[in-house]
Amino acid sequence: MSIEPGSLSFDKVSFAVGERLLVRDISLDVAPGEMIGLLGPNGAGKSSLLRTIYRTNRPSSGTVLVNGKNVWQQSASWAARHVGAVLQDMPADFPLTVRDVVAMGRSAHKKLLEADNDHDRALIEAALELLQLSPLQARLFRTLSGGERQRVLVARALVQQPAVLVLDEPTNHLDIHHQLQLLRFVQSLGITVIAALHDLNLAAMFCDRLCLLNHGRMEALGTPEAVLTTDNLARVFRVEATLTRNPRTNSVWVMPA
Amino acid sequence: MMHHRSDLAASPNQTRLLGVLRSSQAEHASVAAVPAPQGRRSLLSYGLAMVVLTLLLLVLMLAGLMLGSVPVPAPTALGVIINAMTGSEIVPATWRGVYDTIIIETRVPRVILAAVVGATLAAAGMTIQAIVRNPLAGPSILGVSSGAATGAVIVMRWGLISLGAFTLYFSAFAGALATLVIVFWVARSGGQMTPTRLVLAGIAMSSVLSALTSLLVLTSPDPQLAARVLFWTLGGFGSAQWKLLPLPIAALVIGLGLMLVQARRLNLLMAGDETAAALGLNIHRFRQAMFVLTAALTGVMVAVSGVIGFVGLIVPHIVRFLVGADHRRALPAVALVGASFTVGADLVARTLISPLELPVGIVTALVGGPFFIWLLRRDAKSGERSS
Repeated sequence: MSIEPGSLSFDKVSFAVGERLLVRDISLDVAPGEMIGLLGPNGAGKSSLLRTIYRTNRPSSGTVLVNGKNVWQQSASWAARHVGAVLQDMPADFPLTVRDVVAMGRSAHKKLLEADNDHDRALIEAALELLQLSPLQARLFRTLSGGERQRVLVARALVQQPAVLVLDEPTNHLDIHHQLQLLRFVQSLGITVIAALHDLNLAAMFCDRLCLLNHGRMEALGTPEAVLTTDNLARVFRVEATLTRNPRTNSVWVMPA
Repeated sequence: MMHHRSDLAASPNQTRLLGVLRSSQAEHASVAAVPAPQGRRSLLSYGLAMVVLTLLLLVLMLAGLMLGSVPVPAPTALGVIINAMTGSEIVPATWRGVYDTIIIETRVPRVILAAVVGATLAAAGMTIQAIVRNPLAGPSILGVSSGAATGAVIVMRWGLISLGAFTLYFSAFAGALATLVIVFWVARSGGQMTPTRLVLAGIAMSSVLSALTSLLVLTSPDPQLAARVLFWTLGGFGSAQWKLLPLPIAALVIGLGLMLVQARRLNLLMAGDETAAALGLNIHRFRQAMFVLTAALTGVMVAVSGVIGFVGLIVPHIVRFLVGADHRRALPAVALVGASFTVGADLVARTLISPLELPVGIVTALVGGPFFIWLLRRDAKSGERSS
């Protein structure tokens, strides 16, 4: 098992709770190494769609494929060895240390009663160091700041050695410095990333492609330039916006008015 | 292009570290040296903690043999046990024969029962706190304790069955099992069992059953029933006998064994349901299995000793404070501390107002409560776990 960018495909995925369709017939292929951003207003179905990848929402129809295999027909631990997720769940009720939380990421690689070995420890050390958490590893998770917590959750996802990294609004509660730091880091990993994002300009800066959702449907898919148009913004987000370019990065810049 | 470079990606080590993260188990040996794994020191201190906790339990158990209405000196107590275990007179029996009876027939089963019940309730409490992801939960939150009490009261009032020493034991266990089934059925919906539903189902069942128990006691023609029920409900190890021990001991061994096997998964529960699923856990099935296990364990223990509160709530906290929250380390420790706690509480219960006995449940709450509050306040002040 190792981190190699994997492929991710949604094939006509729908997800319903009772009668309500939260995700409608989504088909999307994410190439290995690609970073794709899910955009859309609240309730558009971004999180619901992401949950179908990490085995929380079982699609009512359609399939989710990782490296060509249906994640819902594989075991839960197979999925966890191929998909890492950074979610909003914060393990803050128990006195877990930073290291404890990161070590959880190795679970799916271990048999029952199998102890952590040198390889597991090396992965945990590397992830801690990579996220600049080594000095914090004995600290209790619940005493960390928002930015530190988010880095711990990324480190945990990395020791899963995932082929695909799922990020559900990873920049929530982070200040602008930490938002940039986190996305720049994730981008530099070179693995396949699918992220639900609220900030349109950050999405345009970091993602190779964007997927625009509304009422569970895919409204647009393509490069940031193709998706972030005044038309789409007016229709989906109900805002009038002027478009320009970020003078430093040359990425699309949305200015709502 | 970017001037501000305190960012994570700028780490000069990144390429090497990513190489480590990409490595498979087989390639691990050839990967460039990584920093020496930490945790050796804490492993040593964990071992040390376990030795100290084991010694503490043994000392308390010995004290449990010595103290009581008839004090027995330590050499005599040990001599009696050694002779009984080997079946011959290895230690010259210089003591009166009545000591043999007191130690073997009364105090040994009592101390063993106290230790087994404490260990099991504490381990069950720790697991329950993980499955409902709430450190304020304890075995009583599952409702089975109330169910056991109701079962016991029904039998005390009408004398429905008569199995000698086993009468209360089986009726209480039957009440606990019936409650387990009902709570399981109420808490489960569409194959899912969320922490909130489980807690609410347990609390609702507890209230209904407590009311039922009170009703049965109040409407009973037997004026003594209330006192008997109260005494049983507050728990105690006074009724310990050898023939009552096999089931609780088996429950402890099997229950703790199963929890230890699942320790890694119990850790994942602390991370939250979605994250646990993303980390490879079939969360609802696992929670249901652990609920049945802990509820059955609680039922067995309540049946043999009445309701001994607080052990399953506070001992897990003490243990997490000592050795951390990782269940692989915390579960063995919680069993030891739980056993020490109840053996110690039983000692207090039978010596404080000797020759009378206090119910153990009163002692665990009176001693445990203030200690717990002190610990909470202390814990709030220090962000780091002392290791």
